[in-house]
Amino acid sequence: MPRLSRRTVLGGLAATAPATLITSRALGQSDAPSSPAEIDLAKAKIEGKVVLYTSLDIKIVDAVIKPFKEKHGIDVQYYRGGSNDVTSKVLAEADAGRLLVDMVDASDLAAILLMKERGLLKPFKSQSVPAVAPGLRDADLTWTADRLTQAVIQFNTKEFGAKPPASWKDLTALSGRTVFFSSPNGDGAPRIYTLAKHLGWDLVKGLAATKPLRVQTPQLVTQVLERGERGAGFLQNDNIAWRSKLEGKPTDYVFPAEGVPTEIGACGLLKASTRPHAAALFYEWWMGKEGQDLLVAGGKYSSRSDIDPPTGMTPLAKLKLLTLDYTEFKRDRPKVLDQLAAIFGGEWGN
Amino acid sequence: MAFATPADATAPRGLAAPWRRAGASQSVVLGLAIALLFVIVAYPMLWLVLAAFGIPGPPTVEHLARVATRAQNFDSLVNTLQLAFGTGLLSIAFGVPLAWATARSDMPLRRSVHALVALSYITPPYLTALAYIILLGPDAGHFNRLLRWLLGLEGAPFNIFSMGGVIFVIGVHVFAFTYFLTYTALQSVDASLEESAQVLGAGRWTVIRRINLPLVAPAITGGALLGAVDSLALFGPQAILGTPARIVFLPTRIYATISGYPPRWGEAAALSLVLVLLTVLGLAIQRGYLERRSYITVGGRGVRTGRTRLGAWRWVLLAFCGTVVFFSAVAPISVLAITSLSKNWIEPPTLANLTLAHFQAALFTDQIAARGIANSFRLATGAALIAVSLSAAIAYLDVRTTLKGRRLLDYLAILPLGLPGTVIAVGILLAFIRPPFSIYGTIWILLVAYVARFIPLATRSANATFRQIDPSLEEAARITGASWLTAIRRILLPLSRPGLFVAFLLVFIPAFGELSATILLYTGGTETIAIAIYRLNDLGQLEVVSALAVFTVGVILALSLLVSLLSGPGAVAADAQAPVR
Repeated sequence: MPRLSRRTVLGGLAATAPATLITSRALGQSDAPSSPAEIDLAKAKIEGKVVLYTSLDIKIVDAVIKPFKEKHGIDVQYYRGGSNDVTSKVLAEADAGRLLVDMVDASDLAAILLMKERGLLKPFKSQSVPAVAPGLRDADLTWTADRLTQAVIQFNTKEFGAKPPASWKDLTALSGRTVFFSSPNGDGAPRIYTLAKHLGWDLVKGLAATKPLRVQTPQLVTQVLERGERGAGFLQNDNIAWRSKLEGKPTDYVFPAEGVPTEIGACGLLKASTRPHAAALFYEWWMGKEGQDLLVAGGKYSSRSDIDPPTGMTPLAKLKLLTLDYTEFKRDRPKVLDQLAAIFGGEWGN
Repeated sequence: MAFATPADATAPRGLAAPWRRAGASQSVVLGLAIALLFVIVAYPMLWLVLAAFGIPGPPTVEHLARVATRAQNFDSLVNTLQLAFGTGLLSIAFGVPLAWATARSDMPLRRSVHALVALSYITPPYLTALAYIILLGPDAGHFNRLLRWLLGLEGAPFNIFSMGGVIFVIGVHVFAFTYFLTYTALQSVDASLEESAQVLGAGRWTVIRRINLPLVAPAITGGALLGAVDSLALFGPQAILGTPARIVFLPTRIYATISGYPPRWGEAAALSLVLVLLTVLGLAIQRGYLERRSYITVGGRGVRTGRTRLGAWRWVLLAFCGTVVFFSAVAPISVLAITSLSKNWIEPPTLANLTLAHFQAALFTDQIAARGIANSFRLATGAALIAVSLSAAIAYLDVRTTLKGRRLLDYLAILPLGLPGTVIAVGILLAFIRPPFSIYGTIWILLVAYVARFIPLATRSANATFRQIDPSLEEAARITGASWLTAIRRILLPLSRPGLFVAFLLVFIPAFGELSATILLYTGGTETIAIAIYRLNDLGQLEVVSALAVFTVGVILALSLLVSLLSGPGAVAADAQAPVR
């Protein structure tokens, strides 16, 4: 047996350290469930919590999380921001080589596609697959749509009691009375671009010519309309218009017949997740019937075809939905943001 | 108890300077402090410069070039300069008459005006911005509705979502710099100078124009520059009012380049360097102006100050001063208080519309708000403790030793005072997102940011405190056999406790409501009170937001009063405290 020198030992240690790391990582991955059958409840409980980054309204997130926590005793911590906040946070963590998040949900499918392209997400054969139309899920199941959000015209009923604006074109006539939302880092842009893509840039320029008040979030559009600051708005999130009306605020909304820009919100599991069982368990809850029912109770249209629209909302089949090719949008996004910045002014994030 | 430690036994004997008799404990304590200071201040700044040149990727000047060539970047630079210029002018227009009124005239209610200027100074400007949306929102704003009703106007007379609006809201905050500096300068103008002029036949206005103004001109210019530089950095009002107005400033532009996807680190770092350059330029000119003041009014004897009798004019002056402090402090804070107690803020504040539910939501039931309050208390306490310990070590090196390079340390500990919060956050983000110190995504990164940002306040305070304590007291202890650590622990620290407690508060107060760095560094679970306010406002929950705002102002006000109580009258002055932003 050869005598061991100090150098050999140190060299050996140095060589095994990364090897150990690699094996433990590889083990972690092979151990990670790729379908509901592989979820180990005991392991999920040991993992103890799930970290979710989402762009969904806090009230809905809280409602979905609560029964999950009660059922499994597993904590769900979440970071809530706009789709851009959520995505930039995931990418920043990936750049740092230190992903803290287990599951991501964003209303901008282009962002989810970018995360997939960077190799951050992993496929998962969810039980929800048969319930979700093929167009609303990834071919290899790396992401699944969880909700659909439509743009509406929302208006103040005191100002437009008898004759509310019924079409996008009507909005362009309301100079000085309109409002829309777009965050400084680009939230809100996809649905305005959808409108331009299907109904022409002239319509969007016409909206800009009404000198709309610009606010940072869809919630603020509704707030501006509720208090009569402006009369009517291009509101990207139908659920907020729905809730405002439900709460008895002086607002109402219409889905214009010209077509309704729709945005696919989607979710996925992180490949580098250190809590794969708890995360998969929560993913199944989120996409399952109970979780999606709670989403719908909060005013969202579910991506599952076996769940009805929120009470009082028009079924999607009766709407003319306008969609985007998200692969194309992902590619053209910087150009589109610059275009919108040129038309509306201000910061659009590019 | 006071026996020499083994470490001391090996140290050189004799009556040398305390530093040379130090031994291991001293080297360890001070060495740690130096290392920590480099990691939290110098290291992030290094990364800022590296990233602006494209590192860790291949080195490039492309990002710096984009600052000048991209309209979005260049426009934000121009807007930022306009803002600084506007607030500088506004702070002269508000600050100088008020300072003269309270320092040299017989106007009634002088002390109240003085206190209200201090109040507008300590109110976080992002809260003032929120208040002004309620007051001067183009259509639903209370003042606009009132004016429309009074004057029978068609449209709204004021729109807070405009460049003028941003300048106004930031102006009613930063004019305090001009006010306090001018106030101090006017108090040191000898009344005999004014009297001589009057004896020679000069009228009241001639005295002001020919005697007072030239004497305090450096203070006025210096204050206006300080206000202008401060306004560059105020992310809160720039974002809250500038976004609807579609006006982009450098801090909001930097925020957008990082918070969109994919994050553009190089561009953000390059824009940060531009912001640093503007700040450094402004502060350098300001320093020059303030230094000129010294040869004007320095005198060996005491200064006698008198008050100008204004007759009926004092009511005119009071009306002006009252209007300024009404808009800078009374109106914004009152409207937040009223909103926080109203079921529906758009309705008048009647008894039927009264509720405490928003406070209950803000303090207990709303998850993010409650977590924000807890985190802010935790972070501000931690940051203040660390900053005070660190600054005590640095001040000790500066005051008690002849260590080479101690001036550099002192400079390093003062440097962040001139750096906008956004810039510090970008540097810290770049530095602490990667090994060896990867703490991004944890609460620790916020702690580092707060210590880095506010350590100058503690350092100045600790330095002044140690200077007041005669080193012979510690030397006496050492001679009688106490170790270095014992002498520090039993002599220096007890004697400087009140001063260090003020230093603690001076860090705690701005850290408690910090927004501009936090917004780039927080994550789920590490929300602070400022984040709760900013995010819940985004979600349209204005009543809860105003309850949180009232709570924040209450805490800041109570602690600021404590500071001024502890450090004597006039302590809530521009140079004693950093505002929350």
